[in-house]
Amino acid sequence: MSDPISTASFLGLSGALLGVGLFGILTRRNFILLLISIEIAINAAVLNFVYFAAFSSTAASGLNGQAAAVVLVGLAATEIAVGLAIVLALSRLRGSINVAEATSLRL
Amino acid sequence: MSPEGLAFLALGAVAVGTALAALLVRELVHTIIWIATFFVALAGIYFLLEASFLGILQLGVYAGAVTILLLFGIMVTRRRIFSREAATGLSLHSLAIALLVVVLLAAVASDLAGGSNHTTIHSYAVVDLSTTLFGPYGGWLLLLGLVMLSALSGAIYLVREGRE
Amino acid sequence: MFDPYNIFDWAFLVPLLPALAFVFVGLLGPRLKRLEYGGWLAVGFGGAAMALGVTLAAEEMLSPGTYTDQQYTWLSLPGNGSGAFPNGFSLVVGTLVDPISALMLIVVTVVGFLVLLYSIGYMHQDRGLPRYYAELSLFLAAMNGLVLSDNLLEFFLFWELVGVCSYFLIGFYYEKPSAASAAKEAFLVTRVGDILFLLGIFVYFSTYATRGAAGGWAANGFPFVQGNAPYLAGAMGGHSTTLTIAGLLILGGAAGKSAQFPLHVWLPDAMEGPTTVSALIHAATMVAAGVYLLAVASLFLGFTPTDQLAIVAIGGFTSFFAATMALVNPDIKRVIAYSTISQLGYMVLAVGAGFAMVGLYHLFTHAFFKALLFLAAGSVIHAVGTQDLFKMGGLGKPMRITGFAFLVGGLSLSGIFPFAGFWSKDDILSSVYGTLATHPLYWPFFLMALVTVFLTAYYIFRAFFLTFSGSAPRDPGLGHAHEGAWVMTGPLLVLSGLAIVAGLLPFAHGFGSLLPGAGIPPNYGSTDLLLSGASLGLAGLGIGLAYYLWGNGRVFALADSSPAQPVRRLLLRRYYMKDAYDAVGTRGVYGLARGADFVERYMIDGTVHGLERAFAGLSDRLRKIESGVVLDYAAFLVSGLLFLLLFLLVIGPWVASNGGL
Repeated sequence: MSDPISTASFLGLSGALLGVGLFGILTRRNFILLLISIEIAINAAVLNFVYFAAFSSTAASGLNGQAAAVVLVGLAATEIAVGLAIVLALSRLRGSINVAEATSLRL
Repeated sequence: MSPEGLAFLALGAVAVGTALAALLVRELVHTIIWIATFFVALAGIYFLLEASFLGILQLGVYAGAVTILLLFGIMVTRRRIFSREAATGLSLHSLAIALLVVVLLAAVASDLAGGSNHTTIHSYAVVDLSTTLFGPYGGWLLLLGLVMLSALSGAIYLVREGRE
Repeated sequence: MFDPYNIFDWAFLVPLLPALAFVFVGLLGPRLKRLEYGGWLAVGFGGAAMALGVTLAAEEMLSPGTYTDQQYTWLSLPGNGSGAFPNGFSLVVGTLVDPISALMLIVVTVVGFLVLLYSIGYMHQDRGLPRYYAELSLFLAAMNGLVLSDNLLEFFLFWELVGVCSYFLIGFYYEKPSAASAAKEAFLVTRVGDILFLLGIFVYFSTYATRGAAGGWAANGFPFVQGNAPYLAGAMGGHSTTLTIAGLLILGGAAGKSAQFPLHVWLPDAMEGPTTVSALIHAATMVAAGVYLLAVASLFLGFTPTDQLAIVAIGGFTSFFAATMALVNPDIKRVIAYSTISQLGYMVLAVGAGFAMVGLYHLFTHAFFKALLFLAAGSVIHAVGTQDLFKMGGLGKPMRITGFAFLVGGLSLSGIFPFAGFWSKDDILSSVYGTLATHPLYWPFFLMALVTVFLTAYYIFRAFFLTFSGSAPRDPGLGHAHEGAWVMTGPLLVLSGLAIVAGLLPFAHGFGSLLPGAGIPPNYGSTDLLLSGASLGLAGLGIGLAYYLWGNGRVFALADSSPAQPVRRLLLRRYYMKDAYDAVGTRGVYGLARGADFVERYMIDGTVHGLERAFAGLSDRLRKIESGVVLDYAAFLVSGLLFLLLFLLVIGPWVASNGGL
């Protein structure tokens, strides 16, 4: 196949997803939406690994890219688990999962 | 344009659209539906890129587990699941910053990979991937396992009964 | 070794008894039913010390010229044959009873006892009585210890103790600002002398670590050994400069303690203490210590001719200088205080000229008539409640005993035959006159001393006539004066007797052995007779002038237009020396301190505090960044990403295009 997916278009997709994620991180007040935004951003990064793995010329580097993507997916899943635990704790503690109200990170 | 190119464009558009929709809709349950669709669209792109193991992983972990977890989170933190969020104004500053990041990133990326041209999608056997994962990446996997274990312990500690 | 059958070995009790009184009265005094009981306790201990002291002196008389040294090693470090002290180093304590310390024991214990007794009457209204008696007892203990010291370091310890006790007692009425400042002044001015003395000890220490008697006089603990002075001089092998410097430093110490020019300023101000304290300071303790130091130094350490000239100059000049200031002073106690400085000048003059015994002889007689004058003045002050001579007058009739005592003291001070002062002063004059042939440089100071005889007679009889002559006090508000109780008149009478006969004691059988060389010189010839006649004539002239100007209640007022007015002002302002010291103190030293304070406060502290403020302010700003709001941290995260990208796009290429880092 010749030039099935152009690098520029792919990078555009990845960047757009990262932008959406960042936008969510900066604006959303709901903790769950915040977690989702982070997931979107992480997925944009994972997408890079998969894409460049698919087009890498050697099998070793391609497999390396996919392996890194697997580790990343694992980490992201872990992050979601801990994040949701924090959401639960926060809602119990304050009765709200509004991030703007979580101001006790400071001593 | 090749069928792969068309598929890519379609899946990419769905991904960006569902991601935006997930963040912008005001019912949280609708968000879950949109984000699940987003994960499935990404899995589609992975299949398109011949990374079938990752596609399945994406479907299983994200479209399945993470979505269920998020839904579960919503269920336990609010009395009525289908309540609407208070409207959040579209912050132009944040939008500008996010766009700026994207533009700068694109500039950097084009700077780094501007001349490269990829032609062939390589396909790798899942066996090879597992050999790599448990070979050179064994240490990483072990580390990932430890991180997951400690995250699990932390999560349990955070939500256990009687912790006020 | 301690021999219980040898009375000289019990000498340590003489300082110990008043010290015990200090402890008992100080601790128990305030708890006793009546405050006077503490006073009587101190009198008892003082009496016991006097009995022992006089007995010791009598024993010393019976065995002339003995030096009984009861010495104990306090601290001993072995030597290793090299270093600064090859033979080791030891500190000793002990008591030395020799002729001069026996003589001083009489003065200190007798005058001390009489002052303690007199104080019962004089101080009876004072609430601080236990404190007064405790401090007075400590004062006596320190002075007795000083007199009996058998080495220079022990001497210095008691010397400092005397100084601090005088500080306590001068500042006895510490609520009064003038008394508090007078005490501070006395302490600081004598401290200048103490520092000089200490420096002198250092010089001896460094010079005689390996030289002098027994291969290292200083390393053996600076003992006072008979015949030590030539030993020390010989050990220097002709390098007398060190010895001269040490002698001058010792002179500085003595000048501070004995109020010699230019360190005399504290003594008149020390009149702020109770009059009894003044009597003790001026007669037996504080100021006597300086002269005693000079005498001891001349006997055991030795002075070089340069030192002697300096001592003679200081002594002769001070005697004249202080007498002039006494001429115009309106305060009865200050007049007597200046006379003390003047008489101390005589003693210093005699010691400097090489007649230590003659100087101590005058110290001995002076102690009695000066204590008498002060106690008589105290009696007057106690009766009329003022110290201003121009408010008094006509006190002779109601206070016959006091008047008589003051008259005896005045005659003795003036050197009228046959009172005590005549013999010792005459001895000083004739002794110094005898040295003039070989030391012509002594001439001006001898003449000063001679003129001082006239001045002394004039100013003391001016005070006498102003106080006692006439018919009634010039200030009618003074009230009815009357004589004090027997505890006050008794000591006055005893001291009057002593002031008459003390001068004759060197001629008594055996007593002369305490003062070898003092008294009438063996070759008393026509020159000495002429000198005696001259000094008697000058004294008579002074008394006559005083009677002419102030007698029978007359008050001599100097006309405002008189050319002598500026002189009078100069004398009243004490030659502006105190003002000069104050100016040096406030302008110079205080200015220096202000400068140092400025550097300290604004430059050093300012830097420190400035840095502190800068960092505190910075951290205060930075602290606000830590809002604790999760979203803010997310914003920082994004800002970091932005910065990173900017770096990759802009700064990195820019650095690379400029040749790298």
